Amino acid sequence: MIPIAYWRNRKLYTRLIGSRCKKCGAEYYPPVKVCKKCGSTEIEEKEMLKTGTIVSFTKLTEPPVDFKDYAPIYLAMIRLDNGILVLGQLADAESEEIKIGARVMATIRKWTEDGQSGIIYYGYKFKII
Amino acid sequence: MSKVYIKSVGLVPVGEHWNKSLTDLMVEASLNALKNAGNVKIDRIIVGNMMSGYLNNQEHLGALLASALGMKGIDSLKVEAACGSGGMAVHEGYVSIKSGEFENVLVVGVEKMKDADTSVLTKALAMAESAEFTQVVGASFISLNALLMKMYMNRYNVQEDHLDIFPVIAHKNAVTAPHAQFKKAFTIEDVKRSPYIAEPIRLLSSAPSSDGAAAVLLSSKPADVEILASEVSTNELMLSQRENPLKFEATEKAFKKAVEKSGIDSSKVDFLEIHDAFPIVAALSLEAMGYSEEGKAAHDAAKGKYNFEGDLPILTFGGLKARGHPVGGTGVYQVAEAYMQLSGTAGKNQVQGAKVGVTQNVGGIDTTSIVHIMRKVS
Repeated sequence: MIPIAYWRNRKLYTRLIGSRCKKCGAEYYPPVKVCKKCGSTEIEEKEMLKTGTIVSFTKLTEPPVDFKDYAPIYLAMIRLDNGILVLGQLADAESEEIKIGARVMATIRKWTEDGQSGIIYYGYKFKII
Repeated sequence: MSKVYIKSVGLVPVGEHWNKSLTDLMVEASLNALKNAGNVKIDRIIVGNMMSGYLNNQEHLGALLASALGMKGIDSLKVEAACGSGGMAVHEGYVSIKSGEFENVLVVGVEKMKDADTSVLTKALAMAESAEFTQVVGASFISLNALLMKMYMNRYNVQEDHLDIFPVIAHKNAVTAPHAQFKKAFTIEDVKRSPYIAEPIRLLSSAPSSDGAAAVLLSSKPADVEILASEVSTNELMLSQRENPLKFEATEKAFKKAVEKSGIDSSKVDFLEIHDAFPIVAALSLEAMGYSEEGKAAHDAAKGKYNFEGDLPILTFGGLKARGHPVGGTGVYQVAEAYMQLSGTAGKNQVQGAKVGVTQNVGGIDTTSIVHIMRKVS
């Protein structure tokens, strides 16, 4: 994790701020500068809906080095209720509850930290509702 | 425009080379290719590599290799397209000769992975997707493939062990491949006994981490094998940004363009070297190229279509899974293996009567796809 890059994106990571094209209405997370559908550069901020459905999930036993201490982690593809597909971790997930089609809601949780005296990084995770 | 031929190839056996450095691997592959070519004056070097900066504290591989080969002064550079870096290096070599500016281009693909701790390597591989939106949530490259595989299984009602036919085919073919990392056959039952890394992907259904380097010497002068087409296409960077993640659009487009440019009928292809990093990638690649219908690749494989003796052999030296996957090297190994098939130098792995071969190398999950079509010069 790069502290300054995290700081720059803190709003996105905690509130799921994406984009909306002012011309054609297409929505995006992560945010875009150019609309992939119509090519317009007239883009505004748009907060994503926080509820959605699990499209796919996995239990990762060997995560990348920054997340090594949190293994295993549950990752999922979530179809938000505004139609956007988002990758995220599942929080408090008891494995029998996790299934394709289960309803989830975004919440703010700890992602990782830079050692015992470093920055703690917070961001969205999804919990089963 | 000039035609592009493969004059020679040079391989380092893929494996765990504790006594060889990144430079040693590149030099060994290069010297093998130069020796096999005879007296050829190289006028450009292109190195394909993904992670040397992060894993080996080394960038500037173009100048590094030129210097190590005693060729200071030459035009030399590195290209990067994640796991497609090797294929992209061959593509850039092809374009160099097509442009008329260069006559003999040495293309080298390399990755030195085993010096790194697994969790560091896992982070490096995740750099194929977004630092800001994939890596921050803790996703690894394998976990993204696992998510995709589960979507596929759910969509087409295919089971995990149906897809595990692909590593079984790969390992069977590698038994007699001199440069393969794993010369050992196994069964679907063996795959099922290995642990999950990211369910439904297991240790034995995942391509290994490897050290290796391969070189191909491209030339405008006629030689045994001609590259008829070299095409690249890209998809959205992140899997989650795609309208249909189960469609490998980059591979579909690159393959379609390559078929058109080569003038080859895709049903006349004698073998395929596909990017089988995980079973799901093998399946979706075959479906994107139109050799299997959507959701049917594993079914076709189970019926023997893609076996070495089948209608369309794939992974003729073991592919990424069993030959090994030194990331930036892989695309060059594939082209070198196609050269061996088409020049009749594939030994026990020779596909009899092979005249046309295809390689498909991808960076990320079909984020960049590089397709080459080659023919035997008769």
